Amino acid sequence: MSERDLRAVGDRESNMDEVATKIIEILKKNMKEPSDNIGLETPLSDLDIESLDLAVIVFDIEDTFGIEIPYNANEEVEDFATVGSVVDKVNSIISETKASGAAA
Amino acid sequence: MTNTNGRRRVVVTGQGVVTPVGTDVPQFWSALKKGTCGIGEIKGFSTEDLYITIAGEVADFNPRDRLTSKQLLLADRYSQFAGCAAQEAVRQSGLEVPLEGDKSYRAASIIGSGIGGLTTLELSYRALFKENKRATHPLTLLKSIGSSAAAHVSIEYGIKGPCFGVVSACSTATHSVGLVYRMIREGLIDLGLGGAAEASLAWGSTRAWQAMRVLSPDGLWPFSKNRNGTVLAEGGGVLLLEELEHAKERGAPILAELIGYGMTADAADMVNPSIDGASTAMQMALDDAGISASDIDYLNAHGTATAVNDINETRAIKRVFGKSANDVSISSTKSMHGHCLGGGGSIEATAAIMALNDNFVPPTIGLSEPDPECDLDYTPNAGKKRDVSYSMSNSFAFGGLNAVLVFGPDPT
Repeated sequence: MSERDLRAVGDRESNMDEVATKIIEILKKNMKEPSDNIGLETPLSDLDIESLDLAVIVFDIEDTFGIEIPYNANEEVEDFATVGSVVDKVNSIISETKASGAAA
Repeated sequence: MTNTNGRRRVVVTGQGVVTPVGTDVPQFWSALKKGTCGIGEIKGFSTEDLYITIAGEVADFNPRDRLTSKQLLLADRYSQFAGCAAQEAVRQSGLEVPLEGDKSYRAASIIGSGIGGLTTLELSYRALFKENKRATHPLTLLKSIGSSAAAHVSIEYGIKGPCFGVVSACSTATHSVGLVYRMIREGLIDLGLGGAAEASLAWGSTRAWQAMRVLSPDGLWPFSKNRNGTVLAEGGGVLLLEELEHAKERGAPILAELIGYGMTADAADMVNPSIDGASTAMQMALDDAGISASDIDYLNAHGTATAVNDINETRAIKRVFGKSANDVSISSTKSMHGHCLGGGGSIEATAAIMALNDNFVPPTIGLSEPDPECDLDYTPNAGKKRDVSYSMSNSFAFGGLNAVLVFGPDPT
């Protein structure tokens, strides 16, 4: 692995931490009784989050990261199964957005 | 035969609609019978930066062709829809207008809207904040208020009794009609125009709906396995209700009897409907009508094509109808005219009345593969002939606001 690749991995990891932390903050902000034990493995279904809450959370995430997340409350989406899957989805959208921004 | 225990009976003597599939009742009904879809790519405003680009728009609507009142020609589009629908209902009923003397105080104009002149507000704010205009149009305020349609209609026909708008999101029109019914029955008035209109299709309001993540980007397919949300539409409907003896005396056409009205609130959640609220409203309407669920031949469902509504409504129907749930012909005409929001209830009540007059059940289009959890007879894809003596129309709104009407045959 070249030094450049290593740096990219490092960026991604530190990025992951920052994204995850922000997303957990957003989740807690939208919970009535925020739990301190939210990790990447935590299913959203454990967090007392209903469909309208999810729309609000998706909005907050979009607003925070300046991205657009495709989400339809009428459809079951795997991306919204756990905190970690949301973090992965947001990271992939951020990198797509950056890539298309760089190309433009 | 309905037992009214000597109470005043209420009949429908006129109806009018403006919808994406027809701008009067004959056009509308003929389109529903044929299974015409009025949903398409939005033409009325730029959909730049929106991912929802479809709606049910009322195309080719020129108020000048229909309305004579200068005040209505300057009003918001929602008031113009209401004005046209009221005019059609009044003309059909043969009522001598404007009402004069005591008669004018024995009449009501209860015309609501989910949100009133929202488009007027949106365009005015855009002019002020974005285009830096120095002033807004002097009629901005009057066009925007949610009681302007009711007021315009009262001015047009000399209605000097109860006049105001009802607000209950997507149950607005049904509550309005129900309220006029109760006013007539209780002796407050002898006749009244009841209904609602909505014309809130605009960039900002679509953006707001889009953010709720409940709209389909493709189409409105109630009860279908493939449904993925509702589709916004615009339109309005107005019924002229009249006390039976009053209608007979003046030889008015009697289209149907309004025999039952039920209303409840879920008192639970702003968006997730409850079976209790919906089923109790239906049962109340049946009890008010003095008939059984098994007497209902046609049910115009709320059927919004959201994941939650269609399953909840199906379960509520099963609870109320029991064994006869499989015998009633159901359809969601929203599959054709779209979700006309506050205006939907009176448009759909008109479909329920026409089903009764024409002995025809309009279809639910786009229903090739039903959701396994939605397993009733939704009259898929093609309408059918059926003797319809009694029909029901359901409206269930955000906030858990439920209203149900039951119509029966001309009692004379």
